[in-house]
Amino acid sequence: MNKNNLQQIAIDWFEQQNWTPFAFQKQVWTAFLQGKNGLLNAPTGSGKTYALWVAIVLEYIRKNPDYLSEHKKGLKAVWITPLKALSIEIKQAAERFVEGIGGPLTVGIRTGDTDQKERAAQKRKMPDLLITTPESLHLLLASKGYDQTFKNVTAIVIDEWHELLGSKRGVQTELALSRLKTIASQLRIWGISATIGNLDQARQVLLGSDSSAFENSTLIRANIKKKIKVKSIIPKKMETFPWRGHLGLHLLEEVIPIINKSKTTLLFTNTRSQCEIWFQKILEKHPEFAGEIAMHHGSINKETRIWVEHAIRNEQLKAVVCTSSLDLGVDFAPVETIIQIGGPKGVARFLQRAGRSGHQPGKESVIYFLPTHAIELIEASALQKAVKDKIVEDRVPYLNSYDVLVQYLTTLAVSNGFYPEEIFPEIKSTFCFQSITKEQYQWVLNFITMGAQSLQSYDEYKKVEIEADGKFKVNSRGVAMRHRLQIGTIVSDAILTVKYMKGGFLGSIEEWFVSKLKPGDVFTFAGRNLELFKVKNMQVLVRKSNKKTAKVPSWMGGRMSFSSEMSELLREEMYLANSTSGKSRELNALNHIFEKQRQDSIVPGPGQFLIETFKTREGYHAIFYPFEGRFVHEALGSLLAYRISLLSPITFSIAFNDYGFELLSDQEIDMQQVLDNDLFTTDFLSSDLRKSLNATEMARRKFRDVAVISGLVFTGYPDKLLKSKHLQSSSQLLFNVFKEYEPDNLLFQQAFTETFEHQLEEGRLQLAMERISTQTILWKRCQKPTPFSFPIITDRLREKLSSEKLADRIRKMTIQLEKS
Amino acid sequence: MKTKTITSHAQTFTLHPSGALYWHETDMLLITDVHLGKVSHFRKHGSAVPQSAIPYNFDKLDRTFAHFKPRVLCFLGDLFHSVINSEWLLFSEWIKNITAKVVLVTGNHDIISPLKYEEVNVHVTPQWQIGAVLLTHIPEEREHVFTISGHIHPGIRLQGLGRQSLSIPCFFKTPTQLILPAFGAFTGNYTMNPSENDEVFVITEDEVIQVDLTRFMH
Repeated sequence: MNKNNLQQIAIDWFEQQNWTPFAFQKQVWTAFLQGKNGLLNAPTGSGKTYALWVAIVLEYIRKNPDYLSEHKKGLKAVWITPLKALSIEIKQAAERFVEGIGGPLTVGIRTGDTDQKERAAQKRKMPDLLITTPESLHLLLASKGYDQTFKNVTAIVIDEWHELLGSKRGVQTELALSRLKTIASQLRIWGISATIGNLDQARQVLLGSDSSAFENSTLIRANIKKKIKVKSIIPKKMETFPWRGHLGLHLLEEVIPIINKSKTTLLFTNTRSQCEIWFQKILEKHPEFAGEIAMHHGSINKETRIWVEHAIRNEQLKAVVCTSSLDLGVDFAPVETIIQIGGPKGVARFLQRAGRSGHQPGKESVIYFLPTHAIELIEASALQKAVKDKIVEDRVPYLNSYDVLVQYLTTLAVSNGFYPEEIFPEIKSTFCFQSITKEQYQWVLNFITMGAQSLQSYDEYKKVEIEADGKFKVNSRGVAMRHRLQIGTIVSDAILTVKYMKGGFLGSIEEWFVSKLKPGDVFTFAGRNLELFKVKNMQVLVRKSNKKTAKVPSWMGGRMSFSSEMSELLREEMYLANSTSGKSRELNALNHIFEKQRQDSIVPGPGQFLIETFKTREGYHAIFYPFEGRFVHEALGSLLAYRISLLSPITFSIAFNDYGFELLSDQEIDMQQVLDNDLFTTDFLSSDLRKSLNATEMARRKFRDVAVISGLVFTGYPDKLLKSKHLQSSSQLLFNVFKEYEPDNLLFQQAFTETFEHQLEEGRLQLAMERISTQTILWKRCQKPTPFSFPIITDRLREKLSSEKLADRIRKMTIQLEKS
Repeated sequence: MKTKTITSHAQTFTLHPSGALYWHETDMLLITDVHLGKVSHFRKHGSAVPQSAIPYNFDKLDRTFAHFKPRVLCFLGDLFHSVINSEWLLFSEWIKNITAKVVLVTGNHDIISPLKYEEVNVHVTPQWQIGAVLLTHIPEEREHVFTISGHIHPGIRLQGLGRQSLSIPCFFKTPTQLILPAFGAFTGNYTMNPSENDEVFVITEDEVIQVDLTRFMH
């Protein structure tokens, strides 16, 4: 069958559905049939699934012209999705096409939700297309004979690649691909990505730098132009609008007419707790919405989430309060309006959310921005420009993630075993490990076999064994079982399930929140007020409560930062504040805040670097305003605190946001000395930064992830708490042990590298400091906190740095009682 | 090393920065929650905790023992973390050089057979009462008795101006008992909430510091 005949099968089917294939779909079909790999840049709801799946089926037909009568058994294609929730949609779309053309191909799902029976059945007989997650793919690599399973796979599709790219799940995917490339000789690799700043790099990471797969690849853009309209919700009375805050409930009434006007509205919040509170407050103030409004976030049980998704599609809901759990996938035609509550921190995310509305062709997407505090209006203004100028940030891929490599090599040792010299070139071909040396590889091999770099007498370390013929293999069932339980790179707190005493699963909750509750306490969860009865066997047993006031779990979540592009836009907006014309609606609304700011301090212009100092009953505050985004401020704040701490013994608590950072101390900082000593210099930048990391606790947080991913910390058997008790240790303790006894351990070092280097794009800190060096430093001694300083000084998530002797600090301190 | 000496129930005790307690009247050194074998236990199960951390506990024991040279050495439980492993060999070598009488008051982690301990001349007992003083692993309140125990790894949270806070191990004393901090490296703290009549002594690398509770209790 020639190419045109083949494609005609698809075109005919499209016509039966009253569709016409998009140009990008046809381009993908052609490129795929030519044997190319590639990256498809297409947004959600654009028909991207059919672009790849149709191509895979056509390739099968080309090789098996009698496809209608004969069925060649075995796995042919793998579809990787970052979210389990998306797999059903993909399956339905894939089946619709296969049934339409009358082929006998089957589609199966294998994720953490797939039950044991189904898994076993799949092992015996794989479906033709398997939809899975990166973690479940690695679990397949951890089972014996995986090479036979994947031998005849012709295509692997990585959906939503932009979501995986900037995370260790991306590294996990790269490693799996490096193995599959060898096993499956006919393999084609395709990624699907939304628009991000570094699409070309995304393709390179997917296919391997300088690989033949990359040489033989193409980038196809869907070029679907979407009109997006951004509207800020500006408070009517700016005077009473808070200077800080993160809930945005002041503007709740402004939201009601917007909800009433559209068929369905999605309200995006940044955290799950904010989501819970908004949902409750809307119902409390407007009980008429009961039954027409729902909530959707990652901790709510799967059935409820699926019900909400269906209800959106069936137009049963007026509004859904949600988190990033509704960012991806699923097409929601009835959604007409989006409201973003609080800064989205990224243009790509904001655009993606905006794209959730107005799915009918030619329809405009409308997104409202609801600021949660005054200064956020500047962000709103900057976002509008970013959307207009299509400035989208990069997703930065990880480099040298030894923790993921340790896990991966153990995975291979658990299943078939491996010969190091066979695997090395595969690993070296990935983007993540392109610069790995033989020595570093040997370090990792030693680590998984000896738990050290040399063999010690009496040592009982047991993990991977080296067999007589040089094969690396796990032979202990216990080691294998514990490893399989830990495969993955998403590290979270222990998760407990929330259940009614009478039965009925409500969702899951992080252990640390529950640990703060006593039986009888009332907390809000899944939109209900619940009373804690007891915690038993990883279950939180609750009953309904009529109490009005309740605690709300605040889920920890990664704090995001502005990209350099967004920071620049933000600075430019800020500088406009001093001009008399060209100001946006948002900036004009802030006039009275700017006036207040000028009373005691200034609103800095482009050539000015503002430092404010003042004293409150908390101590001495020094606020610095680089306007460079949170990540730069984390680095710069620690660096400066470290350099100041060398001048004399002092202890700091450091806070950061996207606008600036604060150094808070019980002593006054000698600012004149800071300026005279040129502490913003870029000399010795990297070594000072390194030392500041040693002095703060920042690397500890990263080490926690590294320790779990590499298997240093065992997180326990599900429902088998007691047996693993002797194996539990906190990564905090482990961090101290490594700091003391094995500071050159690559995994320990990795925690330091990741703290700044990963989140700061190359040289961004240096550039920021060079920019500051061209500015005039304006040091304002203020009487009280200024409007700009307010969101920073009230932030409770802080870093510490001290050059004082511990005993001296203790003598100045007082007992802090646990709240009971 | 700055130690701290206190009296209670007509007995004199010296608190050492290592977390050890010296009881003058009986010439006895009390040490709790060493958790020997923990590193090896983790390694045996595939968690590569640095081996070089193993000698630390023995070195610390040596230093503390040399400081007091007591007649009796009493471990207040959780001497070993789990089942027997290669660190037992190090322990039986180490104990040979100890001239004092050695007693183990067993804790919940002590699952190694008492017979093994008897072999190396360690006397094993669930509790030990000497006059009005009760030595036990798990803290307990008993009438007319002063209890010395371990088990919970007591610690305290301190706060100061400039949003400073610290979590730090401590000796925790109530009118009827004294709870010792964990001696072993690679162990954590449990945060205590002192009330009016309690006394708290935090330990740093080289100092025992009493925290003034009266100033700050509300």
